[in-house]
Amino acid sequence: MRKQSQFQGLVFVTSIVATLVMASGVPASGKKDEASQRWAVVSVELPASDENFPPGIGADIATSQCLICHSAGMVLRQPPLTNEEWRAEIMKMRSVYGAPMPDDQVDRLLQYLKGINGQQ
Amino acid sequence: MQRSLLVPLPQSRRHFLAGVGGLGLTGLLGASAWSGTEDSPVVFPFVNGARNLVKTFPQKGAMILQRTRPPLLETPFEVFDQGIFTPNDRFYVRWHLANIPTVVDPASFRLKIRGHVRQTISLTLDDLVRKFEPIEIAAVNQCSGNSRGFFTPRVAGGQWANGAMGNALWRGVSLKALLDRAGVKTGALQVRFNGLDTGIIPQTPDFMKSLDVDHSLDGEVMVAYAMNGKPLPLLNGYPLRLVVPGWYATYWVKMLDDIEVLEKPDDNFWMSRAYLIPDTPLADVVPGQQGVKMIPINRMPPRSFFTNVQDGARFKVGEKKIVRGIAFGGDTGLAKVLFSADGGSHWQEARLGPDHGRYSFRQWNVDFRLSSAVPQNLMVKAFNTAGASQPDRANWNGSGFMRNVVESISVQSV
Repeated sequence: MRKQSQFQGLVFVTSIVATLVMASGVPASGKKDEASQRWAVVSVELPASDENFPPGIGADIATSQCLICHSAGMVLRQPPLTNEEWRAEIMKMRSVYGAPMPDDQVDRLLQYLKGINGQQ
Repeated sequence: MQRSLLVPLPQSRRHFLAGVGGLGLTGLLGASAWSGTEDSPVVFPFVNGARNLVKTFPQKGAMILQRTRPPLLETPFEVFDQGIFTPNDRFYVRWHLANIPTVVDPASFRLKIRGHVRQTISLTLDDLVRKFEPIEIAAVNQCSGNSRGFFTPRVAGGQWANGAMGNALWRGVSLKALLDRAGVKTGALQVRFNGLDTGIIPQTPDFMKSLDVDHSLDGEVMVAYAMNGKPLPLLNGYPLRLVVPGWYATYWVKMLDDIEVLEKPDDNFWMSRAYLIPDTPLADVVPGQQGVKMIPINRMPPRSFFTNVQDGARFKVGEKKIVRGIAFGGDTGLAKVLFSADGGSHWQEARLGPDHGRYSFRQWNVDFRLSSAVPQNLMVKAFNTAGASQPDRANWNGSGFMRNVVESISVQSV
């Protein structure tokens, strides 16, 4: 462990040296090269979530509504919330963020969330 | 050019690290509640605190998965023991809206400055590098909700431990230089920043944040194009992000492509209804307290952390150890760090590592010997140059913002 941390510290020092050289040692005429090297097209792939809502009455609502905007982990990693807190979350998602949830789904989703992660 | 804020000589830093590393820290970081492995999760010391460590995000090493989409990735705390600057591939990630461009073409990218200005301007990335004086500043970027998981009672939101923060050397152009080029007109009140990310459904408010004009013109607020000497990782805002030294990260808009000077206060959702704090010292209220005036979150208070000793660590009685960590002053410089080995009855001043400027992390360390078989509470408390320090009792609010209580860990004999 100790050797590893010293090693990582030294690697870091090296990168700082490189930074200083770049910051102060690049001649004006070299700046364009620096810039054109810097600005590569960046193309990435973001991973998909492999988490699902646990089965139960109302899981279909959670899946069809919550997952529009965010993965299930956001819900599953909350502390156990009270009824009022879960209801406030649902209402915020509807009224502020625009979740297209019909009125009659609110209580069913609330019961589901309370069941999977509610404060007893 | 803010030369005084540049990184000091690497030699002094190496000396500091080597001095600490050579004194027998083996074992202080034991099997870790901080680091985890891909097979065994990190378990934070709060209810529902198990998290997976993942390496599946682009341009990122091992990160603690808080949420896959849009990404919330926490920096494993051991990273903060490895250096004052947080490596780009371990820097925490926080997005609000899931429609994040996954391809950024620098050739077509433009930064617009518009609104209440004499002339609208549109800049390429090469323009920013070649036509403006570069500045550099070392600054801590900390999520408003860093450490939310430790709130008692618990509150909803991203359930971070202490790793929703990072320190980088940012390089870019001062916002003042850009605004001066466009020419801010009399009567301007605020400057609003927008990035390329949007919500999935049209009803979701676009993520935008604003600063007052005076703040925007202070010469320190920066449009950064490099982070620790390299382009920003896409998940940290490639190609450009706003850097607001000393202020919470909610203002550090990522993938920044639009700067709008406003002649009215910004009433968009993310300023008027989100990221509000009680207008009380350290945003502290009693749970359930009503009728408190709310204001936009703003400056950071000081914080300090242990980085090489965890709660529950075991030492040999009488053996000399170096206990170390990091601290920062928040919106102004770090003045001192105090350490207590007896639960806060007595305090001693810690040695400080090299100073990278007033918005940076700074390393601290002390000599420590466990005095007996009786467990001891170690505490650390930062003071900034404005005289602010960390509270002994945790500050609390319903959004889980601004936690900065004195850190306390228990150590005992082997």
